[in-house]
Amino acid sequence: MSASVLLLVSACIYLAIGVPVAFALGLSTITALVLSDAGYPLLVLLKETFTGIDSFPLMAVPFFILAAELMSGGSLTEVLLKFAGQFVGHKRGGLGYTNVVSLTFFSGISGSALADAAGPGSMLIRMMDKAGYSRSYAAALTASTAIVGPIIPPSIIMIIYALADDKVSVAALFVAGLVPGVLIAIAMCIVNWYISKKRNYKGDNAFPSRREMWLTTWKALPAILLPVIILGGMRAGWFTPTEASVVAVFYALLCGKYVYKTLAWKAVPNILNRSALLTASVLLIIGMSASFAWILTIEGVPQTVANWIVGMHLNAWTFLIVVNIFLLLFGIFIEPLPGVMVLVPILAPVAAQVGVEPIHFAMIVIYNLTLGMITPPVGGLLFVTSNVSRVPLSDLTRELKPFLWAHGIVLMMLTFIPALSNWLPKLMGFK
Amino acid sequence: MQTFERYFVATNKWLLIVILAVMSVIIFTNVVLRYTTSISIEWAEEVARHLMIWLTFLGCGPVLRYGGHIAVENLQDALPRPFAIGLRVIISILITGLFVFFTWYGLEYMDRTQYQQTPTTQISIAIIYAGLPIGAAMTLVHWFLIVKDYILNRSFAADGDFDATASASL
Repeated sequence: MSASVLLLVSACIYLAIGVPVAFALGLSTITALVLSDAGYPLLVLLKETFTGIDSFPLMAVPFFILAAELMSGGSLTEVLLKFAGQFVGHKRGGLGYTNVVSLTFFSGISGSALADAAGPGSMLIRMMDKAGYSRSYAAALTASTAIVGPIIPPSIIMIIYALADDKVSVAALFVAGLVPGVLIAIAMCIVNWYISKKRNYKGDNAFPSRREMWLTTWKALPAILLPVIILGGMRAGWFTPTEASVVAVFYALLCGKYVYKTLAWKAVPNILNRSALLTASVLLIIGMSASFAWILTIEGVPQTVANWIVGMHLNAWTFLIVVNIFLLLFGIFIEPLPGVMVLVPILAPVAAQVGVEPIHFAMIVIYNLTLGMITPPVGGLLFVTSNVSRVPLSDLTRELKPFLWAHGIVLMMLTFIPALSNWLPKLMGFK
Repeated sequence: MQTFERYFVATNKWLLIVILAVMSVIIFTNVVLRYTTSISIEWAEEVARHLMIWLTFLGCGPVLRYGGHIAVENLQDALPRPFAIGLRVIISILITGLFVFFTWYGLEYMDRTQYQQTPTTQISIAIIYAGLPIGAAMTLVHWFLIVKDYILNRSFAADGDFDATASASL
């Protein structure tokens, strides 16, 4: 049997019986190397795994994880909540808007959706519950808003995307995420408006005094400045994405220690340990998918798929519709990270060939695969949100419906209006 | 046995803490130096990269211990308990096999690369690649400490600091 068939079939079997994703990728690579008659040496697995993680741009992953862990102590979350609340809290459904706005700000600190849902998200669910919102609605709102985590910079999945497709840079992707991120937040607000009106969720009717508003804004400023420093520093050419991420680490350390004063030195080892474990689990998947993808590439699979798609003479739009459907289905079962590692080397060249701009395509892929985390039955974000809120998965899924529609509409807009992804990076001169 | 487990887990934890801290400090110092003195540490990037490789493989075991490697578990949930246990026996054999493979071939790979040197620091590449067999052997130890609970109940060791459900999903 050919190595690529063995690889794909065995990977599906290993994944289906519940072998962890990183190991399933490694095991299917071994299976293909041992059983195929192509005669590739077994050491390929080791060599490609090393090559996959021996990368300086990839080092932005541990540093952004660490920065977010350092930054997200109790008091910062409260400050962001208050900051968001003062603009929207008094309206009908106010706490819902507060949830959306503060998670969006928090996305500028963290690079992952789960960090958003598990941190400020869980706190907001408790608050909304106390204020009379249905707990499962609060959980659904949090899970579907947490999607902005990897869309608004910094974003771990974007760093990895840029490694898988050399036509886009991390900096350009980061900037490209801003408009779609805000768009998603607006869509979530609209759903919240509709549901709050229907169920009559009240606002808190408390207008903060002007003095209080200034004070909250002043306190929130260091946290809100972090993404500005990252993006500005990269745009000005002061540092590469990896250097920006390490600057973020020390900025977060100083903020936590001297501005918010919630970070104790003795907590730092545990934060480092947690970040190291998260890093290891991410990088193992990357290393293993590198050897997995090596076999696909050497067997000419990307080329075959490309020829096949190009042979169908799709135009850019039909191609994007097909890709959207495929990615949504794929994303239901597969996490964004292995999804990007395995699919991008295959699909991105084809997209470029049929005339889709690389940044536009990247946004579609990233958004699609991230949406997979909230599409039932399997979704990392659903599990985490259900866990932290103690809302059963079935209740959460039921409340999720209007949010999924809203996401679908935003996805269509991103697909058919390339300017939403392209305009800002071009304006700011990123390639 | 419990004393051994405690020390083993703690050693692994502190190795990870030190590695990540050193990586951050090296790269940050390099950025600061470049802007303040126009000196740059020429080995900074290389050393940090190689530390990250060690971090990945040394982190594999503890992540496994706390159940942080994401897996698709719907099939197991759908099956009656005896069948699910049967599947987990198969998975356990596969995982054990994978890490025996990594330990064994990792050593062989070190053997083959011992005379190659890194570009700036001029140390043997085998030292960098040693992270794989060492990390894989330690992962096997972690694995044997929890494998019984995994097979019977799909339960992992608990840790107050590390939320396993939140790992590797982005």
